[in-house]
Amino acid sequence: MRQDSIIMANQILSFIEGNSETNFNGLAVTLFQYQFQHNLPYKKFCQTKRKTPLTVKKWDEIPPMPIQGYKELMLACEPPEEAAAVFMTSGTTNPETKGKNYHPTLAVWDGSMNAPFKKFVLPDVDKMMIFVLSPAADLNEHSSLSRYLSNAVTYFGTENSRFFFTEAGLEMKTVASALRECEDRGEAVMLMGATFAYVHLLDYFLEKNLRFHLAAGSRIFDTGGFKGQTREIEMDKLYGMFAEIFNVKRNMCINMYGMTELSSQVYDQTILSTYESGQTIFDKTGPAWLKTMILDTDTLEPVPNGKSGVIAHYDLANWNSCLAILTEDIGYRTEHGFVILGRVQGSEARGCSIAIDQLMQSNE
Amino acid sequence: MQILQAYWIPKAVDVPIVREQLIGSAYQLEYPVVTSEKIREITALIQQNRVDYLQRLTTGDIVNKIDQAIQKWLNPGYPLRIQAEALLPIITGYDPEMVRLELKKYMRTFRKKELLRFLDEEFDQAAMLDEFRPRKSGGLSRVYGPRSIFHVFSGNVPGVQIWSLIMGLLLKSANLGKTSTAEPLLPVLFTQSLAEVDPQLAETIAILPWKGGMTELEKAAVNSAEAVVVYGSENTVKAVRKIVPLSKTFITYGHKISLAIIGKEALRPDCFYETVHKFAEDISIYDQQSCLSPQAVLVEAGSAISPKQFAQLLAAELARYAQKRPRATLSDEETMSIQNLRHQTELEAIKNENIAIYASKQDTSWTVIYHHQPGFDGSPLNRFIHVFYSEKLETDLGKMQPFENYLQSCGLAVSPERLFPIAERLGELGMNRLTQVGKMNSAKPGWHHDGRFNLLDFVRFTDIERGLEDTLERFDPDVE
Repeated sequence: MRQDSIIMANQILSFIEGNSETNFNGLAVTLFQYQFQHNLPYKKFCQTKRKTPLTVKKWDEIPPMPIQGYKELMLACEPPEEAAAVFMTSGTTNPETKGKNYHPTLAVWDGSMNAPFKKFVLPDVDKMMIFVLSPAADLNEHSSLSRYLSNAVTYFGTENSRFFFTEAGLEMKTVASALRECEDRGEAVMLMGATFAYVHLLDYFLEKNLRFHLAAGSRIFDTGGFKGQTREIEMDKLYGMFAEIFNVKRNMCINMYGMTELSSQVYDQTILSTYESGQTIFDKTGPAWLKTMILDTDTLEPVPNGKSGVIAHYDLANWNSCLAILTEDIGYRTEHGFVILGRVQGSEARGCSIAIDQLMQSNE
Repeated sequence: MQILQAYWIPKAVDVPIVREQLIGSAYQLEYPVVTSEKIREITALIQQNRVDYLQRLTTGDIVNKIDQAIQKWLNPGYPLRIQAEALLPIITGYDPEMVRLELKKYMRTFRKKELLRFLDEEFDQAAMLDEFRPRKSGGLSRVYGPRSIFHVFSGNVPGVQIWSLIMGLLLKSANLGKTSTAEPLLPVLFTQSLAEVDPQLAETIAILPWKGGMTELEKAAVNSAEAVVVYGSENTVKAVRKIVPLSKTFITYGHKISLAIIGKEALRPDCFYETVHKFAEDISIYDQQSCLSPQAVLVEAGSAISPKQFAQLLAAELARYAQKRPRATLSDEETMSIQNLRHQTELEAIKNENIAIYASKQDTSWTVIYHHQPGFDGSPLNRFIHVFYSEKLETDLGKMQPFENYLQSCGLAVSPERLFPIAERLGELGMNRLTQVGKMNSAKPGWHHDGRFNLLDFVRFTDIERGLEDTLERFDPDVE
């Protein structure tokens, strides 16, 4: 790594560790200058938006890179071939069309993951038994979620923690017997996996008529959510099933929202708020080095609380690519954080004209 | 607070429950709760009313009655027109001035003379709809329209529903229209005008709003109709197609794409501005929601302004138009679709200097994407246009081939001697209508809508053969 990159990464790391003298805004502006200088495609993008280090004085003036940029452009300050890891978006099999986020060192990424994980997922314990339902890092080195899950077990899992996803897929039968053992021992367990992993598992348990009375302190972590407009309804249904099948109540279920294009995660405040005050807050929030804005979809200007808009994140841990990104997710801000409504679906023409989204659909 | 019915049913039917939805401040809309039983009851009644009345009218009578209703709408002080002008902008989000202008232009296309033309365009003699008429080749023929038509109206380009209803009336069919929640009002108001002219005529019509995809209701409506006509997206058409038996007439007007082709002759110093100005109107009217609006334009190089300059001037014109008549407020889905395509282009433009984007800075009001190469592309609509570069138009027409299943109208501006060669090629490619730039949104009455017949697609003929005619003469008791 170049000297100034090492300095930048260390500055971010101190901020994450709470040892920084600089505030969020100061560091964001410094990081923007660094990215403007070293990330050439981002620099060009900023120039088309008429934004340069000379004009940007506040973090919310930094132009957010649309996540498509991670597919279209090579967004990295350090040479990509020297990266310690590259995380890619899922979805398509063609690597050319995958979004890529390069990490010259994983120290920042890991640092950004660990502290908030402890805070939001395990506020009450230091370590616990973790059962992982989605592929770990050894199966998918380019998945940020896999790294996340492996880290969780490495840093926060007791020795009985296990991975249930192998090359053969999710071993549901083994999950069932492992859960039964926990139940018998009365040991609390945390299930972790992508939201859709639970769908298959629950189907299997329902079919086999299996129910578990997991010990107090047990919790369920899911990430990814469902796509489409029925998202909220389906999530509610899922949490209902968690209570029914695992005996884990809604306030011990936590949804994490992360993206390949980011280096930090945001969380439901369910477990944290219940632990701290006994009141359950569902809205999401993130660590101090991540700020989330809700922008009007028409003007891309911030909207007042309660009004829906497209979500932009300003993540200092994303130091090697773009600290500001514009997602395609819709959400709204609340008193306690924000709520994600899901990815915007393609739009339909109201009249007789065919819109490009529909055209693509019909050609699929 | 004024309460308006967002439906029309024969007087004898009682709608069980009515709920209200507030729109704007001064009006409330009343919606019926529609059930399969109600649909069956209503269709049975309008069909009976058709037998008792509409079927006995002559086509001439019907034309006169429609014309009288249209005459009312051509009067700026007509209360229902005032209502439509006040409410349609609120319901659809379109600019009020645009709605006012387009609505009156549209209504004018249904004057008596236009209706007569429309009939003549398709039938040798429109009187065949009334009685057996002699044919030039011998024998006699009569035309029968469907006993009843179920219309599935689409979204919110106001007016198309009226055209469909008028066709149904000319065919002496009972008409059941399912309106879209995006624009339930205009067909109801028009039927009200018909009722003012002739209450019995309006008793053969029912207009019901319900949310598409409620298959039970749609099945009930399909089963009670002899013909079904659907306007809407491929998904809508597919969904309805599934429930229409093969024995019924099924006509669909799916979503379409229109394009424009501008030759260097239209970009001479004396006329380029007019061309750009008119083309900006084609894009802006009804925010490209009509399939007659262009989504991309191929512009020829070699004149006073280059295709790139055309794109820049077009951007300026769109900005001006947006000031005068702002675009409708869009849903998050619609604006994000524009934002995503804008981002895509901005990012591509970083790598590729053959692409440029000219767009409203503050919001998504209008977007011009310039491609320095020949081609055509679809747009997310709502005043979003692709401009493509061409050395020679004739060479590049084939680029529209990927869209051949959707081609609808082509706005054309070239010198006269190029018309036929270009028209031949466009026709082969499946283009349905060639028109002048600036008039892309106003199809003429009697046009071959989506390349087909209008009334003829609905009817069946009964022929009396010449031989029969002659032979029967022999059975005249008084024959020599």
